[in-house]
Formats: sequence, structure tokens, C-alpha cells
Amino acid sequence: MKVSLFITCLGDVFYPDVGKDVVEILERYGCEIDFPEKQTCCGQPAYNSGYHTDTKKAAKHMIQTFDHAEYVVAPSGSCAAMLKEYPHLFKEEPEWKERAEALADKTYELTQFLYRVLGVKDTGAFLPKKATYHTSCHMTRLLGEKEAPYKLLENVEGLELKELPNKQDCCGFGGTFAVKMTPISEQMVDEKVEHVEETEAEVLIGADSGCLMNIGGRIDRKDRPVEVMHIAQVLNSKKT
Amino acid sequence: MPMKIGDRSFDKRVEKGLSDTHMRETVRGAQGRLHTNKAKAEEELGNWEDWRTLSEEIRAHTLENLDYYLEQLSENVVKNGGHVYFAETPEEANAYVEEIAAKKEAKKIIKSKSMVTEEISMNEALEKQGCEVIESDLGEYILQIDDHDPPSHIVAPALHKNKEQIRETFERLKGYDKSADPSELTQFAREQLREEFLEADIGITGVNFAVAESGSISLVTNEGNARLATTIPKTQISVMGMERIVPTWEELDVMVNMLCRSAVGQKLTSYITGLTGPREEGDLDGPEEFHLVIVDNGRSNILGTAFQSALHCIRCAACINVCPVYRHVGGHSYGSIYPGPIGAVLSPLLEGYEDHKELPYASSLCAACTDACPVKIPLHEHLIEHRKIIAEEEKKTSLGETYAMKGFGIAASSPGLFNMATKTAPLMFSPFSKEGTINKGPGPLGGWTDVRSFPAPEKERFRDWFKNRKKEDS
Amino acid sequence: MAQGTVQNKDSFLNNIAEKLGRERRTTGVERPDYQKQPQWEVMADYSTDQLVEVLKKQCVEIHTDVKETSVEDLPKVLDEAIKEYGAEKASIWDDPRFSSFGLSSFAARPDVSVWGDAPEEKDIRISEQADVGITFADYTLAESGTVVLMNGGGKGQSVSLLPTYYIALIPLSTIVPRMSQVTRKIHEDAEAGERVPSCINFISGPSNSADIELNLVVGVHGPVRACYILIDDR
Repeated sequence: MKVSLFITCLGDVFYPDVGKDVVEILERYGCEIDFPEKQTCCGQPAYNSGYHTDTKKAAKHMIQTFDHAEYVVAPSGSCAAMLKEYPHLFKEEPEWKERAEALADKTYELTQFLYRVLGVKDTGAFLPKKATYHTSCHMTRLLGEKEAPYKLLENVEGLELKELPNKQDCCGFGGTFAVKMTPISEQMVDEKVEHVEETEAEVLIGADSGCLMNIGGRIDRKDRPVEVMHIAQVLNSKKT
Repeated sequence: MPMKIGDRSFDKRVEKGLSDTHMRETVRGAQGRLHTNKAKAEEELGNWEDWRTLSEEIRAHTLENLDYYLEQLSENVVKNGGHVYFAETPEEANAYVEEIAAKKEAKKIIKSKSMVTEEISMNEALEKQGCEVIESDLGEYILQIDDHDPPSHIVAPALHKNKEQIRETFERLKGYDKSADPSELTQFAREQLREEFLEADIGITGVNFAVAESGSISLVTNEGNARLATTIPKTQISVMGMERIVPTWEELDVMVNMLCRSAVGQKLTSYITGLTGPREEGDLDGPEEFHLVIVDNGRSNILGTAFQSALHCIRCAACINVCPVYRHVGGHSYGSIYPGPIGAVLSPLLEGYEDHKELPYASSLCAACTDACPVKIPLHEHLIEHRKIIAEEEKKTSLGETYAMKGFGIAASSPGLFNMATKTAPLMFSPFSKEGTINKGPGPLGGWTDVRSFPAPEKERFRDWFKNRKKEDS
Repeated sequence: MAQGTVQNKDSFLNNIAEKLGRERRTTGVERPDYQKQPQWEVMADYSTDQLVEVLKKQCVEIHTDVKETSVEDLPKVLDEAIKEYGAEKASIWDDPRFSSFGLSSFAARPDVSVWGDAPEEKDIRISEQADVGITFADYTLAESGTVVLMNGGGKGQSVSLLPTYYIALIPLSTIVPRMSQVTRKIHEDAEAGERVPSCINFISGPSNSADIELNLVVGVHGPVRACYILIDDR
């Protein structure tokens, strides 16, 4: 099975190690990884800020870039959800709308792809740690994926998963929200960090690098002893 | 009080909200309780999504045929002996109500909770005419005696006050001498208000839903004050936003069910009252005269636009009760009597962007509101739509942001440029980074690094690694 | 009956039609055949006994006392309920069911006021002074623990509202699963051209408020306690 990887901006520039784990996991299940080098950004920063004319430029480019793909997989619920948003952008351009719909239909977030398309339940990972999982908003609400990450994490050997209190609440990232409404965002991320600490977890796991950069950045600033891991890193952890 | 409340700027209001620890504790506790109660009320039904689908369909159909159903409503009210006044503006609505008050030589007017009368400042208009207007909803009563403190929540208007503050208000202004126990506070309000009800000349209510087929209005309450206001005074005036209507009693069932479960997690509130015209011959209570005032006040401008579904709102506040931004900043930060996500959508539509331009940005777009809405209003999408208008049509965003986004559009559609930008990122950031972390970022990153560390870009991007790996393989 | 009036209708409705981008609609609008109608699935096949169980359970949630009785024992059970509230003066509906359920002598007691019997329409004041208001239920909703009162004439709306306590007499024959069954009946009557009663109350327990910190407090402007007496009239 050929899988075209959409690595996302954060994944490309800031968290390349996450991408390496994604490649290893998918290859283990016999996927042939295709990385279209022309890929850029899903356009979400512009879209959420209301610049839809500028977003369309990015969207058209991404549609073309992944036109050939059988499956598009991204290690981010938020960026995957954005690709699925494209058809709404092209209400008045039927040709592009159709192409956008085709892209939307074949796009998956990583855990969603593993669990729902490949039927994977156990990635054979080993991580003997106490952890908690942050359910990101776009993954659960826009993509509607509430199950896959848990199903996969349940089977990680040694992992003790603690339920995060108020897990449904946003961490305060929200893209430009974090820099436009900093004082509010700060309160939100502080509350999230408090809840993480309540679980006494050693590791905070998430499936969206944006949220992890936000919560992790606050944890780092407050010098708290919690390690932050992308779910791909957890699912690819092995006995050493 | 008009829709807009206070003169402070958005930033100042937020600053005040964030520093109000009493309010934040109260709101946090309330949101927690409601989360549990609403989840239970949804689960009991077992097929909540079907109920939402039905509710959305009812609201969409009604709004699509609003002129038809309002006409049917008004004809039936008249048939039952009631009076209908269609008011396009607050001035028209208030003038009509003032006229009735003058004709009845009304001295005392008792009101049950109504957001639309807040919106059009009806109390002030009547007070100017010398009427004493008494709010009877417990929350509204607390705010009214406390020097007309504005509401901060559309279901529980005094949510920003804790019980100790309420005790203090009662003590200072009404000679209350008991504890801050909510039961004792409530009992006190009951005693204070009972005589007012018996003496009132006119009862004014809002309308939860009017029923077109029979010319009825329904009132959904727990306290019983709306029943008192429509049982004792000889004249009743009910004021409704023009969209608060259902075709028949069958739709009323569904909407009331959704309202009660979403607003307070109850199956039904203590009182659902359906009122049809003035009292009939042989009745010994209920009003002798019934007036229905149907208010537009900017609502019709929303029809036929991308925002039409905002008029589907049934004012349950479910979106407010799940909003993490509301939790921290409180209702007054929104600067409008309609706070939270629905307020951020509605206020700019009803009053323009000038006074409310920050509201669409006061959201992380987490979509908790959209998920919670019993009639499936895509609230976070409406917020994005507002941002689009502000950025692309009103051009009210900063020049810097506009150029940055233009640049983004160009870069994201030109792989060469994008590649260069991400490739040089480590170099660009190197003056700011230390041990893989940036603690004081440049430009817009400053807001980020004021409270959080930012990761320094890795030297080898994923795409470089992938390319090299492929080369090694071959 | 007073003559009703309507003002500003056409300009108002024409504007709506214009904003909706079409001609004004005055006829020919049909309610859609809704895709989902979950309200009819709720307890659709429940027997009366099952509905009574649901009702009793719900009464705990809504802070409402429940008593069960046969028709025969009703006078005794009603008397007990009144005594438990420490009530003396009662305000009741002028409703033929009081006599058909064997409560004629109760209704004739000097401390019981029947709605409509007061001189000079002082019924509201008398009801307000009463300790307990007593009415029959016209319908009863199991799901929400609700009594439905079709007020009018001798069935004054004050009786269930103004006294300190409220007692609802519920013949089991009035029980339906939920609000849908009653609103459908009202809808059918309205469709047949009947005037809907001027006041219909759906009452679920005593009055309450959550306006202080969203904490539920029982007993606000309406009755502070409520008791349902379930009468097996089968």
C-alpha cells in the first residue's frame, strides 16, 4: 500500500524525529512511503485568520501536490482536518471543489489510519512509564476521531495511562490565538498543565504538535518534570 | 441597558476579568457542574445526535419560512383577542410598551427574565416614564438591586457573583441579616417579591418560543416568576425576538426538551407554561389584556447571509457553559449582554464590528461550542466567517498581518520559496535560541515566548532526512 | 371577547421576505417530514406500571414527594399529605373529579376554598393565603415527572402556584411517556380549529432556582414543596 506522507510544517522543521517514527511505523505494516517534496503548509494559519483568498492559494497547491496519492497521512489531527476543510473554500469553483473532496476523502490522521484503515491495534511498542493523553480539539471535534489514539495506547506494553481531568478542554493553543490573545491563552495552558500534574504523569502524550508545543513550552518555562511525546514516538518506542 | 455594556476597551475588560478571582472560581465551578448534568441529560436520551438533527431541521425550516409563520402567529393571537405589534427598532417597541403603560396608568411593572428587553433597554424607557420596573428572576433581581450590574450569562445572569457577594448585596441594600446559604438568600428574595407581584399593574415577559398554529407563547422557567407575572397582573406584555417561533406544538415539544437539557441538564424545568391570548370568559386569573411585541432590531439583516443559522439559537447557553475562554475571562469581558461564543457571533451582527471587532478573535476555535449546540449552529465556523469579513472586506486587521498572510499565501503555494524559508529557519532563529529552546522570540513570537518556551528549529529538517535516507537505500 | 389588533405587519414581513431573497409566503408552507423523530421512540412500549416506576424515580430527582393510593383510600392519604406539610388552609380547583374521586366532603370543609367561590373575585388573594394548593392532573408525563394542567374556568392557574405547598392528584389513567403525547393532542385540537386553553402548565415538582452559582435551590416564587398522589383508578 502506498502512503503519501504530509509531514506538516511543525513536523518538518521542529519535530523531524516524529516524522522518522511515523515512517518506521508505517513501513513496519508494509506501507511504501511517498513524500511529495513540493508539499508546503495546509494553510490553516491564514484560514483561521480569515484570509481565505490567500488560503486558497495554499490549498490549490496542496491539492495538486497530493493529486496522485492513494492515501494521505499526517501526524496531526488539526492539519488533517484542515485538508478536509478545503471543499468549503471552493463553493464557487466546482472543479476545484471536486478535487478538494477527493483529497478530503483520502486524508487520515496517523492513528486514525493505523486503527481504521490498517486495522492495527497493537504496534508492539514498549514504554514503561506513567503517562496521560491530551485529546486535541481538532482531532476529536473536527475530525471526529475519539477512539483510535486510545485503542493504540492501551496496548503499549508497560504504559500506565492516567485519564487527564477536563480532557475535553482546549489547551489554549489555537494557532494565532496564542499570540493574539496571550493573557487568555496563558490561563488556558496553565489550567491544562495543572491537570497534567494532577495525574502525576511522567509523560504527556498528544497527537498534535501544535498543542504539544504549547503545553510543552509552558511546562518547560515552569520547569516541571514532565516529558512531552508525540503519539508516534510512543507507538514506536522499543525495548532497548 | 443596550446590548453593549460598559466603555472599557476589550483588553481592559479581559484584564479585569482575569483578575477577578471570585468570578473565575464561581464560573469554573458552575461550568464543571453543568458539564456533568448536561452529559447526563444527553446520555439519558441515548440518541442525542438524532435529537440535534431534528432540532436543526425544525429551526432551519422555521427560519426559511419566517414570514409565513409570523403571519400565522399574529393572526391567531388576534383571533384569541390579543394584540400584536411588529417592531423593527427598539424605539418602536419601547414606544408601544410605554403607550400601554400610560393608558393603564401603570405604576408598578413586574418583569420575568427577557434578554430581548435587555437588548432594547426597555426598563430604562419605562423608568423614564415614571414606572417602577421590578425584575423578578432571582439572578436579574440580584443585578437590579446592585445598581443595575449588567448580566454576564444568558441563563444565569448573576453568575459572576458568588453567594458571599450576594449576601453582602442583600445586607447592604435590603437589610438582610441571614447567612450566605443559597436557600436562605432565595427565601429572602421570595418574601421580598411576593407582595410586588400582587400589586403589579402590568407583567412583562420574554418568550422562549411562540407557537404559530395557535397564537400561543411558551415560557420555560424554574422559579415560577414568569407564571406569577402572567397570572396576577391585569395586563400582560410579552416581547419576543422575531426568530423565537415554532410552527406547531409538536415542534415546541422538541425545542423545549432540547432547551431544558442543554441549559440546565433537566428533563424539563419546573414550569413550562403555554399561554394563549388573554383570559377567557369565566377565568378568574390570567391577564385581561394580552400584547405580543415582535422585535427585529437587526435580526432581519442576518437572514439570507452566511450567518443565518445564528438565528437558530434557542438561548440555552450550552456554548457559553463549555467555552474555555468564557471560563477565564467571564461574561463582562465580551462587552455585550450576549457573551461567550454565541455572543461573539451575534453581537457584531446586531451592532456592527466597530464596538465588537475583537470578539471573533476571542476564541481558540476549539469548537467545543459547535459540539455543544443543541441546534447544531456551526459557531466556530461563524467566528472564522467574521474574521474573513474583518480581514478581507472591512480590512480592519493590521497592515503587518495582511502582508504576512499575503506572503504566507505566496510561500505556501511556491514550494521553492517555502523550502528556502524552512531551510533557513535554524539560521534565522539562531540568535534567539539556546540549547534548542527560544525564550525571547522576535516579532509576533514575542507573545508566545512571554509565557512559553519555543523550540528552536532542528538543523536537519524531516525532508532532508528522508531524502538522504532514500539515497542511502539506493 | 375583546377585539384583537395587529400593527406594522406587512412592512415587517415584506422586509423578511426580501432579506430571504424571495416573494412573501402567505400560503402553501408544509412542515417537512422530519428525517429523525426520536421523540416517539421514548418508552413507546411501556405499560402503565412501567411508566409509574419511571415517574417515581424521576420524582426523587425533582425533589417531589410521592404517595400511592387506591381510589377508596384517597381521602385518608390526602389528609395525611396535608398534615405532613403542617398545612391547614387549602385552595382547590372547582373540578368535578373531586366528587367522582370521593373527595366531596373534603371539598366542603371550612378550611378548604374552592376556586371561583370567593366573593368579588378575591380568589387570587385567598389562594395566596392558602398553605396548600390541590389540583388534579389532566395528563402526567413519566419521563420528566410532570403534571399537565389545562387551566381555565374553575381550574384557576393560581391554585398550583400561589400556596406554599402543592399537591397534585394523579389518576394513573392520565400517565403518558413524555411531553410529545400531550403536545400532539394539543396540536390536533388546534388543527381542528379549537381554541387552545388560555393557560397550560407543565409542572415538574416544586419551584427552584440555580441562579446562585448554578447551585440548585428548591422553593423560589412558586410552591416550596410538592407532593404527587398517585391514584390507581384502573
